[in-house]
Amino acid sequence: MPFIKIDKTEFEVAKDKTVLEIALENNIEIPHYCYHPALEIVGSCRMCLVEVEGMPKLQVSCNTFIGEVPPDRKVDGKYDMVVHTQNELVTKERKNILEFLLLNHPLDCPVCDQAGECDLQDYSFKYGNAHSRFDEAKRVRPNEYLGSKIVINHNRCILCSRCTRFTREVSGTSELFVEQRGYNSKIAIMEDNPLDNLLAGNVTDICPVGALLSTDYIHKDRIWNLKRQPSICQDCSVGCNIDVFSQKDKIIRLTPRENHKVNGYFMCDIGRYDFHKYENIERITSPLHKSNGAFSKISWDRAINKIVDKLKANGSRTAAIASSFHTNETNYMLGRLFQGLIGTIPVMENNEITYPSGFRISGDRSPNKRGMNDLCPQIVKDLPSEIKKQNIRGIYILDNGIDAELDDTWKKILDKMDFVIVQSYVMTSFAKSADIILPGLAPFESEGTITNDRGHVQWLRPSLPVKGEGRPDWEILNLLDDTDNHFNDISDLMKDMGKQFPPYSDISFFKLGDRGISLSEEAEA
Amino acid sequence: MSILKPILTEHIKDENCHTLSFYQNVGGYTALKQVLKMNPDDVIGEVKLSNLRGRGGAGFSAGVKWSFIPKDTTKPKYLINNADESEPGTFKDRLLINKAPHQMLEGMIIASYAINCNTAFIYIRGEFYKEYQQLKNTITEAYEANLLGKRILGSDYNLDVVIHRGAGAYICGEETGLIESLEGKRGWPRLKPPFPAIEGYLSCPTIVNNVETLSCIPHIINRGAEWFKSIGPEQGPGPRLFCVSGRVNNPGVFEEEMGISLEDLIFKRAEGIPDGKKLKAVFPGGSSSAILTADEAMDVKMDFEDLVAKKSMLGSAGVIVMDETVDMIQACLNIARFYAHESCGQCTPCREGTVWLVKILQRLVAGEGKDTDIDMLLEITENIGGLIDFSKGSFAKTICPFGEAVAWPVRSFVEKFETEFRSCIQEKLVLA
Repeated sequence: MPFIKIDKTEFEVAKDKTVLEIALENNIEIPHYCYHPALEIVGSCRMCLVEVEGMPKLQVSCNTFIGEVPPDRKVDGKYDMVVHTQNELVTKERKNILEFLLLNHPLDCPVCDQAGECDLQDYSFKYGNAHSRFDEAKRVRPNEYLGSKIVINHNRCILCSRCTRFTREVSGTSELFVEQRGYNSKIAIMEDNPLDNLLAGNVTDICPVGALLSTDYIHKDRIWNLKRQPSICQDCSVGCNIDVFSQKDKIIRLTPRENHKVNGYFMCDIGRYDFHKYENIERITSPLHKSNGAFSKISWDRAINKIVDKLKANGSRTAAIASSFHTNETNYMLGRLFQGLIGTIPVMENNEITYPSGFRISGDRSPNKRGMNDLCPQIVKDLPSEIKKQNIRGIYILDNGIDAELDDTWKKILDKMDFVIVQSYVMTSFAKSADIILPGLAPFESEGTITNDRGHVQWLRPSLPVKGEGRPDWEILNLLDDTDNHFNDISDLMKDMGKQFPPYSDISFFKLGDRGISLSEEAEA
Repeated sequence: MSILKPILTEHIKDENCHTLSFYQNVGGYTALKQVLKMNPDDVIGEVKLSNLRGRGGAGFSAGVKWSFIPKDTTKPKYLINNADESEPGTFKDRLLINKAPHQMLEGMIIASYAINCNTAFIYIRGEFYKEYQQLKNTITEAYEANLLGKRILGSDYNLDVVIHRGAGAYICGEETGLIESLEGKRGWPRLKPPFPAIEGYLSCPTIVNNVETLSCIPHIINRGAEWFKSIGPEQGPGPRLFCVSGRVNNPGVFEEEMGISLEDLIFKRAEGIPDGKKLKAVFPGGSSSAILTADEAMDVKMDFEDLVAKKSMLGSAGVIVMDETVDMIQACLNIARFYAHESCGQCTPCREGTVWLVKILQRLVAGEGKDTDIDMLLEITENIGGLIDFSKGSFAKTICPFGEAVAWPVRSFVEKFETEFRSCIQEKLVLA
């Protein structure tokens, strides 16, 4: 293994890694723009220049590969490479490159959405000049739409070409390219091929400056006012890792969070913009009871007591509906509480979309089908015919939140029931036909674990405060259990879940952390 | 004055010198016949021994370059003939294509054989339309005479030659920019390593040689490496086509030994400066080379080493002569403007820096110069292309040599004619 020195630190490193990779892995800052770990190396921004002993020119650290050298060529008799990232030569060069990058830059940080998370701003503060020596007229160009949701501010663009490489290498759609040449170079699209693919939003994240902007976020807020919460996207069974940026009880934007076992560095636009659909829904914020065809509020205690009585009276003639939109813990609780008939309401499947980079959008647009099936193995395939066969009189529905019109089969089934109880955060068609509604939590409010389609278990963390009297879905089911087997808290529940379903044994929020655990790894361990 | 009997341009004044029959009558393709019986490694060895250095600008040893082609790969290998001659002040390859195309083609076939390549390309400058037509005819003639195609001259060797026309970008003369362009992409030079000899066209081993370099090959095979080495200085021997243009009485291409004095070239071959004007400055090797003052020019030999010692370079051997009537600030602006226009825009210093130079120079020319401008010009050139000091290595900051190509000449104008720049600033002369 090559033995190298970067500044004053010695490293033994894996072969064929670059100086920049090693530095990043070890928290040594080498400023860079065009380099992105998911994209081809182009070495064009020249920001990551470092001095490598024995080489006459400064080297771009993104393309300087480390290998072993023969004994007679070792530096100081022992190093395969000695790199300086902070000496006078390097810092002077950084200053120069930043000066070039800022020549035509508008320096409009006060109105730029990137301010606060801008590599150009950060590096300029850290390594740049305090004053500009450029006395000439700046290059000024109007903003342009590149796609229906992406705007480019050409004046801020530093032409690092991350975005063009992204559409070529990751999405494989090649909408973006550099038009013109030299000083007149600019990012462009062909008129008939706008940047509207399902991964388009990612270019706004990988843009190191404020050039590529999402119309969904533009001028909405300042990044330092937002609360950032790592969580998981719930729009398909891939479970992309995301950061949820919110202010008070409002989500402002979602960005992907790196996880090589799941989504790499990216997320799709379905997940990115889907949070808006929860903004104008008819939320249920307290337990509701139907009398004479209209809902009225009741207290939690009354609602729970009523339901417990009904369940006791009906015994095995109550069916339950599990939901792939709910967490492992909620589904586990459902299966534990209802020992009789359990089924699901099928959700329409789309075709899986796979990109050249391996990034995929699952056809199953629910986040936790795998977990639901793992933890409610008794789920039957054809619930309606089982309901008829077993002469079911009552039904308990974990509502998936999708407000679709009920088909005739379900209308008939619900009509025949003595009682219908729906646990839901939103007034869906199922909720409307309920006798009692218990308010659960909306997607960005609930906490628990979910298992993606490849068996990777991840920690779904809440990013918004709970609305009204809503309660965690697992907790509602816990309340309905009038035996002595109550759980004190969710970790208590998870321990029990692990005992009953060994693949899930020893899973805890602490263990899942930011990256999650795959069930196969867990089995091996 | 040198008395070199022309080698590459021996027949260019003869009628029909471009035809196959003419070329064969004067001994053409005998070298190829000889080579087809040789071991390819011996061909490389002979060229290496001759110390033939590239005529495109960088002056890298052709034989050494060929020997970088990996032997243990199953990938196809490619030869590219760089006929994208676009360096200002350079017009020798055009002459060779027009007047001695078969000499160049024979060189290409020999080079292809040596590196075991079965498809070779001619990347020709888009503006060279007549030359493109000429080459098409040359290649047709060669196919008909079985000098190209399958089983060349009865041997086991196959070779196809494809002509590709450029679209008029200077940067596509840089070998990796050229390869990108040939692949149908934007002409952005590649980050090195890997070098083209390892991963070039379509990621396969590729050699890029200049027209003049390839034209030398048949002569090296025919007369031997020792003969070639005996012409001119040992470190960079051989004949060289010098293009002399600018303020001279007899501009043109002159074939001379490497190492001819620049004085002879300007005052004897190009017959001096019109109207009895005095020499002021010279680009010795195309517009990318640092200019020489009249004094320096009178004391320099046109070979790789001597020009490097004068902190300039032989480059493409395009000699551009400026007399005392030439305004140095305007000439400098002209050069800077060319490079700003041709910068590919891929890397930061060149994309931003070239136009900064132009903007300052435009201000000077408009009589709006400032005292700080001279230092600023020098510093910008240093930040784009580094200092012109080969003893410390060159300190280019860019992916390709374009950064040096703009920095060195502009820097040399400012350094060598600083008084002129200063008086322009102080007197607020409006030059244009």
